[in-house]
Amino acid sequence: MVEVVRQFASGIYNLLLGLFTSGKHLTRHAITIQYPKERWTMPERSRGMVVLLTDHETGQLNCTACLLCMRACPAGAIEIEVEKDEKGKRHLKGFQVDYHLCCFCGLCEEACNFAAIKMATKYEFPEYDKKNLVWDINKLAEMGLDVPYEKPVRKTPEAKKPAAAASAATTTPAPEPPADAEPGGDATPPKGEG
Amino acid sequence: MELAPVFTWLYGLLLSLGLGTSVADLISLVALAVIVFGFLAVVALFLVWWERKVSAHIQQRFGPMMTGWHGVFQTIIDALKLLQKEDITPALADRKVFFWAPVICFVCAFAAYVVMPFGKGLIVSDLNIGILYIVAITTFTIISLLMAGWGSNNKYALLGGMRSAAQAVSYEVPLVLSLLGVVMVTGSMSMNDIVAGQAGWGGFHWNALFQPLGFLIYIIAATAEANRTPFDLPEAEQELVAGFNIEYSGMKFAMFFLAEFVNMFTVSAIAATVFLGGWNGPLLPSWVWFLGKTLAMVFVLMWFRWTYPRLRVDQLMEFAWKVLVPLAFLNILYVGVMAKWLKW
Repeated sequence: MVEVVRQFASGIYNLLLGLFTSGKHLTRHAITIQYPKERWTMPERSRGMVVLLTDHETGQLNCTACLLCMRACPAGAIEIEVEKDEKGKRHLKGFQVDYHLCCFCGLCEEACNFAAIKMATKYEFPEYDKKNLVWDINKLAEMGLDVPYEKPVRKTPEAKKPAAAASAATTTPAPEPPADAEPGGDATPPKGEG
Repeated sequence: MELAPVFTWLYGLLLSLGLGTSVADLISLVALAVIVFGFLAVVALFLVWWERKVSAHIQQRFGPMMTGWHGVFQTIIDALKLLQKEDITPALADRKVFFWAPVICFVCAFAAYVVMPFGKGLIVSDLNIGILYIVAITTFTIISLLMAGWGSNNKYALLGGMRSAAQAVSYEVPLVLSLLGVVMVTGSMSMNDIVAGQAGWGGFHWNALFQPLGFLIYIIAATAEANRTPFDLPEAEQELVAGFNIEYSGMKFAMFFLAEFVNMFTVSAIAATVFLGGWNGPLLPSWVWFLGKTLAMVFVLMWFRWTYPRLRVDQLMEFAWKVLVPLAFLNILYVGVMAKWLKW
């Protein structure tokens, strides 16, 4: 008899405990992010769209047409057109990223020595037409305008001298626009030839 | 603001128009039926939305958010969608039984409100056997579920229907026995008398305070009667793929669905009326007290649903016959003894 009463009381207690637990969750705020209205802040190093970066001081693309990224790309998504001027210097003529092929591995960004190509944190670029997923140099540069980046230290001839070695003046990064600005909203796209 | 004087004034208006008493009675009856029907339809639509919100927030989701403020119009949109759906009758179904099952379910769910005291003087018909009438008419719902299960000619539907019949037979007994305690104390089966019997203490002379065991038994049995989790075996989604209503589509499904929520409102309203003092209460109008108590009960039922897992069939039967029925008899004994000694 005592055992029956004890089990009965324990059952009631556990039922109330269950109600209390679900009631506790009822009062908590929902963890859902309502996607079109609310968005995640993406982690800084998350790999979204591939963009070409512009030097904000000169307005020129950072790309030197070295083709390292094209060789690094395992999917063959990058195609670069290069032209040589009369002195034999290489100039970037065309740059194309095919998002059908891109696997978002980030190897192109790692291969680049000049902070010219980067995987931005931006991730929304769906299209109704598959053709529009092949981005040319203008589109890539336009999307890269508001992407913050750190300009690498270029080893200039002066910097090799011991007197100027401590100088950090040349390493100041370009002014960064806010990361959440509309792409291409406030700056004109640079010319095709970087 | 009390609503009863408004209806009295409207009835007087009908009489002053030169209509005879019989014609005025007829018109007012039809009008009352329409009003109750419309009220319950709105309540059912609201409850579906509320159930989705409660379930979502217990799981820390949002639930419907897009149609209107926090998705309040979601059920209306869903009902409109169901209206447009094709009404399919299975080829080998028993057509008459299949057709009438949702109709009976719908009508019986709404018929219980004939004797429901919504507020002071707000009762369609104060039958002197009110509580017996409600118990009897809500039992017909089970017949409609059995008809749906049989008429569908589907093994899952038949299993669901059979389960609902077994469940109803088992849980009807403790339900009625728990209500019997209140009838013994009140000395009447009329819903108005039961409410009036709880008018003391400024409207807080609740039967639930004097018969907590009876109230507990009623809530458990009512949860089973309304086919709610943890007793939702007739429509167990995981094992019976929705049970008795598996073959129903379009408006027939919507009728079952609305009737289910009206049933939930019915058992909550009975709990509020019989055990929680009905429309008695200070300051606020009587119908606000009735609605508030009923909706609080509905919320408790929803809370149960999203907390407890479903019982097995044998556990269900064992619980009803070995635990609830003896406890209900114990409650009757307790009420009888107390009524005799303490002159409740």
